[in-house]
Amino acid sequence: MTDVTLEHVRVAREGRLVLDVPTLTLRGGRTTAILGPNGSGKTTLLRVIAGLESERTMSVSIGGSPVHTRDLAYVFQEDVFLRESVRANLELGLRLRGIASAERHQRIDDAAGVVAIGHLLDRRADRLSGGEGRRVSLARALCLRAPLVLLDEPLAGLDEGTHARLLDELPRIVAAFDATTILVTHSRDEALRIADDLVVLVDGRVRARGEARDVAEHPRVAAVAEVLGYTVLATPAQTVAVPPGAMRLGGGRLEFSMIVDRATNVAGVSEVVGRIAGVVVRVPLTDGDARQNPGDRVTVHATRVYGVE
Amino acid sequence: MSSIVLRTLLVSGLATMLAVLIGVPAGYLIARKVFRGRTLLLSLVNTGMGMPPVVVGLVVWVLLVRSGPFGDLGLIYTPAAMVLAQFLIATPIVTGFTAASIQSLSPRLPDLLAVLGAGRVRTLALLAREARLGLLVAVMAAFGAIVSEVGASMIVGGNLQRSTRVLTTAIVTETSRGEVERALALGLMLLTLSFCVNLTLTLVQQRARP
Repeated sequence: MTDVTLEHVRVAREGRLVLDVPTLTLRGGRTTAILGPNGSGKTTLLRVIAGLESERTMSVSIGGSPVHTRDLAYVFQEDVFLRESVRANLELGLRLRGIASAERHQRIDDAAGVVAIGHLLDRRADRLSGGEGRRVSLARALCLRAPLVLLDEPLAGLDEGTHARLLDELPRIVAAFDATTILVTHSRDEALRIADDLVVLVDGRVRARGEARDVAEHPRVAAVAEVLGYTVLATPAQTVAVPPGAMRLGGGRLEFSMIVDRATNVAGVSEVVGRIAGVVVRVPLTDGDARQNPGDRVTVHATRVYGVE
Repeated sequence: MSSIVLRTLLVSGLATMLAVLIGVPAGYLIARKVFRGRTLLLSLVNTGMGMPPVVVGLVVWVLLVRSGPFGDLGLIYTPAAMVLAQFLIATPIVTGFTAASIQSLSPRLPDLLAVLGAGRVRTLALLAREARLGLLVAVMAAFGAIVSEVGASMIVGGNLQRSTRVLTTAIVTETSRGEVERALALGLMLLTLSFCVNLTLTLVQQRARP
């Protein structure tokens, strides 16, 4: 499978530049997660690739050829269906692409099997629950058998249990696409569980890209580290990024003074939440740690840090 | 009397068709496009939905009367003038109902249809299909409004017995003559005509219901 290349991508809205990507290559046959905070331009980037943003200077290509509708399948952030049956909704894209009737039925049955929606095929698509709707959206993309699949936060807005179940299944569903897949998410965990490659987008610009594990474990820029869930703290010598869960109570080689905001115990997991120079920090508690009260000033240390710019 | 019924159906039917031709695309554009003055335009359309027919008739009369700017066309006191007046009454109704029904669809639907491979014409057809219940309401409301109006038809048509008399103006005439039974019969005909047209449209609408 061939690479997806973007060049000269600039999108402005109401006079503000929301996306500025001079060049970006996404490797063919792999799953790339576009990770970034809300408003960082992730969805806009996906829309550019799909041809839904039409600035004339931009160029998006697959293996050197412009992206055509038949090349892609798109799962939107929210469920969008015709007020018809699930089967009719799955069939629509196949009809529009000129797929013969027998082939359409075969593809729908195959996709329904992969995504486990066989029992929903005759239901009204616009009356499905959130989880069912997500599955049908994924099935609709699956049965198109497109070489490029765009997933815009496919797990957004789901309750915790449904989110967890679908997240467990998503790597298998993505593998079934057998395509170059681009996943937009603001969840580090989703990105790392599903993606081979990672692109971190901050304020409309690509700030990091590469193999997912490599980018996640070696953030070089503070903004990237924050997106990846690190706590970024300034020390007299340099700015450091502390990985999630790497803070401990008590003194150490790299220690900080923290003001306690609250101590929590949710489902047996205790942590103390406080601030270091205005930065919110979460420190897991162990059985031996003393009880902390709001307003206390305590010393904490980081067990691992990375220097960032 | 049958010629009056036929004329009523022709004038109001033609005006409704013209209003659909203009009002449906206009309603779609208002619902979907972002442009300066959109809210003002929508407010004007909504105001137009309740515009008194007699005022529309008066404006059309001023335009078409022999001494008016379009007097040379010789349209005043003809069925064409009545179609024009009824078209102006019906168009805001069709536009307003169309805009509301298109706005009730998911704003992402055109994007979905585009990425699935629908061209522009196919996208519009599929959107119209999705909004069909609301669009049929627009047609019924527009036809109902103009087939029952009397003021505009009376002013621009002149209620001429052999050429511009329709059911509503005939009812006025018969009542003023003291022919109450005849007026009631015409009223029953108007209701029957209106019912038949709406029954047909309702059958189409309910068959189209998903």
